[in-house]
Amino acid sequence: MNNNLQAKITAWEPAAVWSDKGDGMFTVPAERFRDLAVRLRGEGFDFLRSLTGMDWGEEGFGVVYHLESTATGENVVLRTLTPERENPVLPSVCDLWKTAELNEREAFDFFGIRFLNHPDMRRLFLRDDWVGYPLRKDYDPSLNPLRMSNEVAKDSTASFELMPDGSVIRKRSVLFEEEEYVINIGPQHPATHGVLRFRVSLEGEIIRKLDAHCGYIHRGIEKMCEELTYPQTLALTDRLDYLGAAQNRHALCMCIEKGLGVEVPERVQYIRTIMDELQRIDSHLLFFSCLCMDMGALTAFFYGFRDREKVLDILEQTTGGRLIQTYNTIGGVQADIHPDFVRKTKEFIAYMRPKLREYHEVFTGNIIAQERLKGTGVLTREDAVSFGATGGTGRASGWACDVRKRHPYAAYDKVQFDEVLFTEGDCFARYMVRMREIEQSLHIIEQLIDNIPEGACQVKMKPVIRIPEGSYYAAVEGSRGEFGVFLESRGDKYPYRMKFRSTGLPLVACLETIARGTKIADLIAIGGTLDYVVPDIDR
Amino acid sequence: MFDFSIITSWVHGLLTSWMPEGLAIFLECVIVGVCLMLLYAVIAIVMIFMERKVCAAFQCRLGPVRVGPWGTVQVFCDVAKMLTKEIITIRHSDRFLYNLAPYIVILASLMAFACLPVARGLEILDFNVGVFFLMAASSIGVVGILLAGWGSNNKYSLIGAMRSGAQMISYELSIGLSILTIVVLTDTMQFSEIVQRQADGWFLFKGHIPAIVAFVIYLIAGNAEVNRGPFDLPEAESELTAGYHTEYSGMHFGLFYVAEFVNLFIISGVAATIFLGGWMPLHIPGWEGFNTVMDYIPGFVWFFAKAFFVVWLLMWIKWTFPRLRVDQILTLEWKYLVPIGLVNLLLMVIVVVFKLHF
Amino acid sequence: MSYIKGLFQGIGSLATGLKVTFKEFFTPKVTEQYPENRATLQMYDRFCGELTMPHDAEGHNKCIACGLCQTNCPNGTIRLTTETVTDPETGKTRKRLVRYEYDLGSCMFCHLCVNACPTGAIRFSTAFEHAVYTREKLVKQLNR
Repeated sequence: MNNNLQAKITAWEPAAVWSDKGDGMFTVPAERFRDLAVRLRGEGFDFLRSLTGMDWGEEGFGVVYHLESTATGENVVLRTLTPERENPVLPSVCDLWKTAELNEREAFDFFGIRFLNHPDMRRLFLRDDWVGYPLRKDYDPSLNPLRMSNEVAKDSTASFELMPDGSVIRKRSVLFEEEEYVINIGPQHPATHGVLRFRVSLEGEIIRKLDAHCGYIHRGIEKMCEELTYPQTLALTDRLDYLGAAQNRHALCMCIEKGLGVEVPERVQYIRTIMDELQRIDSHLLFFSCLCMDMGALTAFFYGFRDREKVLDILEQTTGGRLIQTYNTIGGVQADIHPDFVRKTKEFIAYMRPKLREYHEVFTGNIIAQERLKGTGVLTREDAVSFGATGGTGRASGWACDVRKRHPYAAYDKVQFDEVLFTEGDCFARYMVRMREIEQSLHIIEQLIDNIPEGACQVKMKPVIRIPEGSYYAAVEGSRGEFGVFLESRGDKYPYRMKFRSTGLPLVACLETIARGTKIADLIAIGGTLDYVVPDIDR
Repeated sequence: MFDFSIITSWVHGLLTSWMPEGLAIFLECVIVGVCLMLLYAVIAIVMIFMERKVCAAFQCRLGPVRVGPWGTVQVFCDVAKMLTKEIITIRHSDRFLYNLAPYIVILASLMAFACLPVARGLEILDFNVGVFFLMAASSIGVVGILLAGWGSNNKYSLIGAMRSGAQMISYELSIGLSILTIVVLTDTMQFSEIVQRQADGWFLFKGHIPAIVAFVIYLIAGNAEVNRGPFDLPEAESELTAGYHTEYSGMHFGLFYVAEFVNLFIISGVAATIFLGGWMPLHIPGWEGFNTVMDYIPGFVWFFAKAFFVVWLLMWIKWTFPRLRVDQILTLEWKYLVPIGLVNLLLMVIVVVFKLHF
Repeated sequence: MSYIKGLFQGIGSLATGLKVTFKEFFTPKVTEQYPENRATLQMYDRFCGELTMPHDAEGHNKCIACGLCQTNCPNGTIRLTTETVTDPETGKTRKRLVRYEYDLGSCMFCHLCVNACPTGAIRFSTAFEHAVYTREKLVKQLNR
C-alpha cells in the first residue's frame, strides 16, 4: 500500500494502527470500524475482495477485509477484532458491500462472530444443529459425531441488533410463508452442476424468492490446511474448483512464494501461464457444454466435450492428471513440460479455432438460444462490483476485473491480450465473454509457446518450509473469477490460518438479485452462465 | 400396387364359412387388436433404437454397440428390465389417478395409431371423418399427462403437467389448421381417400407453396404436440428433472416412454400420409420405366420409408436446437404459427378455387 | 416488416445449426470403445495410476526405510514397518524395510512421497483399473 493512502487512513481514523508484517494491514477497533468502513466505501473502495474470519486466540475474534477501489486500483487491508470470546459481536458491512452478506454468514458459521444488523444470520455451510464453531482454535471435533437424522428445513432466520443500552437482541424474520409454493432445486438436480440447493418460491413459473443453501460438499479444507505443512496444503487446492486446478494451485504457490520471498525462474512463469490458460480453455469449454445442456441442446454439449478432451490430453501428458493435476509446486513445477507439449499445444490451437466457429453456428447464432439468453438475468455493473462477482460475470457487466490486468503475475505482463468486456450484463453477455476469452487464451498461448526460456523448472527449497510471521494475500484470475489465497503465518511450518477467496460464492450471492422475477427456465440459464463450481463455493 | 383387402376379405370369408357372422367379426376385431398392439410395440422398439443411434451419430458417438450386433438387442434388454422393475407407489398421491394416467396416454396413442393407413387395404379405422377422429383421439393424451402431474403429488410434476397442458392445447390448433389446408385441397377427410388422390402426385408437390408451408407448420406443431425437443418443456430434464413422469417407475414409466416415441411415429405417419402420399410410390410424370420400377416396391415399404424419413427429420431438429421457454412457446404458436396458418389456409382456398394447383 | 424480417432471420439461424449437425452426422465418431480397445490403449507415461515400488531382477528394491514418504504424506496413506539389523561386516546398525503398505483408497496423488524419496525407490505407475469389491483390497503391500 502506498504511503499516501496510509497517511490518509490514519488521518481519517487515528485509532487505526498500521502493522508492517507480511503485506501489512490496519487494525481498527471494533467500535470505530463501522465509521471507517463507511468512509472508505464513500472514497471509492467499492470492491471487497475478501472477507476472512479469524481467531487470534488471546487477541480475540476478528475479521480481515481486503478492499480495492475499482476506479484507482488502490488496495487496503483492514482488520477489526473483539476480545470477547463467549459472544463476539462485530458490526456488519453487508449494506456497504453486498458480498459481505454470505461471507459474514461464513464467519458466523466458522467462528461464531455475530454481525450486528446483518439481516440473515444463519449458518452458511454447516448444519443448523452443529455444535460449536469449527475454525475456532479451541474447537473440539468430538462434539459433532456423524448425525444420522435429517436436517429440518427452517423457514425463518435471525438477525442481531444493538439496543441503546448496549445489549444485543435477536430478531426472527420469516423466509418463506406457509402458503408459498416453494420448490427445492437441488441438492440433486441436473442443472445445479453439483450439490447446491436453492429453495425457490414460485408464482406459476415466475420466481418470487430464492434462498441458496450451500455446504453439501463442504470438506473444511481451510481447517485441514491448519494441520498440514505448506507443501501438503497444495494437494487440497486442486480439489476446490476442479476446473481451475492449475490456477488454484498457482495462487497458493504464489502466496507461499511471496511469504518466503522466493523468486520463481522465468521458465516456470511461462509454463504456469500456459497451463493456466489451457485450464481456462478447458473450463470455458465445459461452461459452453454445460450451458448448452442446461438449455436443452444436448448435441452441442457433446461437441464441447469432444474438444475439451484434447486439452485434457495435453494437460495429462505433462502433468499426469486430467482434473487433479498436482503440477505447480512451491518454487517451480512438478516436472518439466513433456517433449510433445509444444507441438500438441500448437496443433490444438489450430484445431480449436474452426471448432469455435462451429459452436457459434450451432448455438450462439441460434434464434432460440439468443431469445433465451438476451435480456434475461441482468446484473448491473454496480451490483457486480458490490457482490464481488469477478470473472466473466463481472466483465459481462462492464467491470474490468481481470486480475491478469489489475495485478499482473507470472508472464501476463509480457503478453498482449484484450480484456473482453461487455456492458449488457445479461446471460448472453456472460456467455459471449467466455467464448471470446477462449480466443484470447489461445492468443496468449500462441505468444508464449515458442518462447519458453530455458532454465530450471524448480527452485531448490528447504526441506521444511517456514513462512515468516505476517499475513499474505495473492490472487490469480481463475476460470471464473478472482481466486485469492489469504495466508496468516506465525512462523511455523503450518499455516495459522489459510483462507481461499472462493470464486463461486459471490456468484451464488448475486443469484437472488438476478433471478428474482424471472422464470424457472431462466434460473437454469442464469445458473449456467454464472458458471459456478460447487466444491469451490463450499470449500 | 398389391391390395391387402384381398387377404382381409379372404380371412373374413374363411371365418364366416365356419361360424356365424357376429362371432367372426368379433374374432376379427380381436385379431386386429392383437396385431395392432404387436405392431405398436415393434414400432416403439424400432423407434427407441433409432433414436439412440441417430442421436449418437449427431453427437459424434456410436450409440449402443455392446448388446447384439450393432447393439440391436439393447432395446429388448431395456424393455425386459423395465418390465421387471418395481412399480413404486407414492405417499400422499392420488392413487387412482396416478395409476390411471399412463393408460390414458397409451390409449390415446393407440387409437390414433389405428388411423394410419399402412398400405392399400390395410386401414384399421377408416371412415369419412377420419381426420377429425385422429385429432380427437390424439388429444385425449393431454388428459393423461395432466392427471400424471396432478396425481403424483410432486411439485415438479405439476409444473411439467401444466406446461404440457398449455403447450399441447395451443399446438393442436396449428396441427388442425395445417391438416385443414390439405383437406381443402382434397375435399375429403377419409385417410384412404386422401392417399388415393395422391396417385398422380403427392400433395406436397401438388399444393406447392401453401402445402409446403402447411408441411413445415405441421412438423413444428407436431413436434410440440409430442413434447419433443425443442419443445420438451414438460419433461425438461435440466429444469424439472423429468417433468410429469418424475414419480413413475417400471412399466408405468415405460408406457409414457413408449407412447412418446409412438406418438412421434404417428405424427410422422400422418405427415407421410397427407403430405407425402402415404403408401403411394414416387411417380414422376413421363418417366414410365421409373414409375413401373417404383410400383414393384410394396406400399407398406413406401409408407414406413416416408414415415421414418420424417421421424429422422424430427430427430435431426430435436438434437440440434436448444429448448424454448414456456412464454416463447406460446409466442411462437399464437404470434407466428396460427396467423401464418390462417393466411396459408386462405391461400390454399384461393389456389383451389382458381385451380392453381397441379 | 420487422416481424417478417425476424421470421426469416430466425429460420436462417436455425438452418445454420441444422447444417452443422448434418455435417457432424457423417463425420467419424470419437467414441473410445473401452474395454474392447484395452490392447491398444496407451496411457501417458506420466499418468498417476498408483504408487509402485520397482524391483530389479533379483527382487531388490531401493528403499532404505527412511520414512520420509510416510511423514510427507498428507493423508497417512503410506505405512512402513521397519526393523533394525546389524551389518555383520561393519557392525553398524541400520533400518531395513519389512513391509511397505500403501492405501490406494486414501491416496491424493500429490507426489510428495515420490518427491521426498532420496533413492527414487517409489514411483507412480500408469495402471488405472483399480475397481475392487472391498476397501481392504485397496491397501497394498508394495515391497516383495
